[in-house]
Amino acid sequence: MSHRIYLLPPWLRIWHWTNAALMIVLAVTGASLHFADPGLYLVPFSLAAKFHDIAGVALLVAYGFFVLANIVTGNWWQYVPKPPGVLARCWKQIVFYGWGIFWGAPHPYPPTKEANFNALQAIVYWVIMYVVVPTVILTGVVFLFPDLAPAKVFGLDGLLPVAMLHYLAGAAVILFMLAHIYLGTTGVRPTSLFKMMITGWHEE
Amino acid sequence: MRSASPSLFAAFALALFAAALGAANAADVKGAAPTDPALIEKIRTSNAECYACHTEAGLKNPPRADMDLAALAKTIHDPKQFDGSNHTGMECKICHGQGYVAFPHAPEAKKAISECGECHATKALRVETQFKDSVHAKNLADKFTCQTCHDPHVYKVAVKVGDPRKIVAQDNAMCVDCHNSDLRYASFSAVLPTKKVRPDLYATHDFLPNARLHWSAVRCIECHTPMSPVKSLATSHEILGKDKSEKACVTCHSQDSALATRLYRFSAANVGTDLGFANASVLGSAYVVGATRHPLIDRAVIALFGLTVAGLLGHGAVRIVMAFFRRRRTS
Repeated sequence: MSHRIYLLPPWLRIWHWTNAALMIVLAVTGASLHFADPGLYLVPFSLAAKFHDIAGVALLVAYGFFVLANIVTGNWWQYVPKPPGVLARCWKQIVFYGWGIFWGAPHPYPPTKEANFNALQAIVYWVIMYVVVPTVILTGVVFLFPDLAPAKVFGLDGLLPVAMLHYLAGAAVILFMLAHIYLGTTGVRPTSLFKMMITGWHEE
Repeated sequence: MRSASPSLFAAFALALFAAALGAANAADVKGAAPTDPALIEKIRTSNAECYACHTEAGLKNPPRADMDLAALAKTIHDPKQFDGSNHTGMECKICHGQGYVAFPHAPEAKKAISECGECHATKALRVETQFKDSVHAKNLADKFTCQTCHDPHVYKVAVKVGDPRKIVAQDNAMCVDCHNSDLRYASFSAVLPTKKVRPDLYATHDFLPNARLHWSAVRCIECHTPMSPVKSLATSHEILGKDKSEKACVTCHSQDSALATRLYRFSAANVGTDLGFANASVLGSAYVVGATRHPLIDRAVIALFGLTVAGLLGHGAVRIVMAFFRRRRTS
């Protein structure tokens, strides 16, 4: 029987899957809007616009809950990479993904109740959740209320920089999501980390 | 719309008259505002006689005591607006005729007001062929004239307005003057065999996300006129009802956006081109999702996406192969 520890409280798991579902809807509809073309098989524009708006507002609410819950429960501390040796630990983690994992080496920093995330995870999650996602949300809010955007920036419509930021930050979230889902297969078994996100129990 | 053909003879006669008057007077008939100072002064003096009554100032202080102020109130104009219109520099009497020279004006003077086609004969012919297929011709026929939409004292063609936002404001005002006014709409629908109640604009456009934003950024005719591959025919007078009008968002919201040949056909094409955006002329006054994209940035994002997917799949494939060999070795 393998060793199990209870890591993830229900609120975190519910938020995670809500966030995941919304992100997928936003990614698919967002790409359909940005790359809109009569010749491409994308979500029809008006439908995509409607779903993108609804999912965007829902994401804002979910994000607000995430921030509040992190403060209340103290979970925010997990996202802070703890010195000393943060970079060295990140490097060790990168070497594991680039080499050790192929040879069956054990995870260099398995999660504990005190430290859910390895240093690389903490840094990447922190940047995504506290820099990139808020950028997408804030620029999305301006998109919903375009009057909030400046009228002109360097002679061009003021919504342009907002839109570019929204697009690029959205693309960064999608790239993160791909890597995040893939790294979900690197548990003891390919499915164990997905199971952990459902049950809350981490298996070693 | 009244037929232009009865007016063709008048146009011909007027053209001969204009030719006889010489180049200085040609501007009275059609084209650019006059440049001859003596002629400008003559027109100014002549128009000042009309403005003495037909302005707000004239209505407040009528120069004569025996005037029908209720009738006058319906025929006042803003000289500033007129000077900003297409017809700036024209003498009022060019269209309003001799019946308006003396006061009281001749009882039949109104009937002698020149029709648009008398000067704009070529345009009138083109407009008529478009108009006869429009929803307005179908429902209102002769009750619908050029002036129903285009107030000749105010109207300015898009190419002269320039700023797309101002073009939109001017052109949409023509539509909503009736389509957002129960009173005006009822006065037109009264001639129909079955009286029509004005449809609520928000209800008829409920499929359109951000309807209010669209109405301030694009003209009604962007969707309510047919598309034409001929650039000069991009703006048509064939106004389409809701069944035939454009509902495909991607007509504008795509890299091959119709906006470039419609609303933005007169906008400087070089706005933002040095930054490499598609539909760069639009960027001067709007960001249009799907249209104002940057092909290079798009390619970079798609390439990053492809590389990430390929990298992850490759990593996964190596893991599977290595795990297979490890299992074989241990067994």
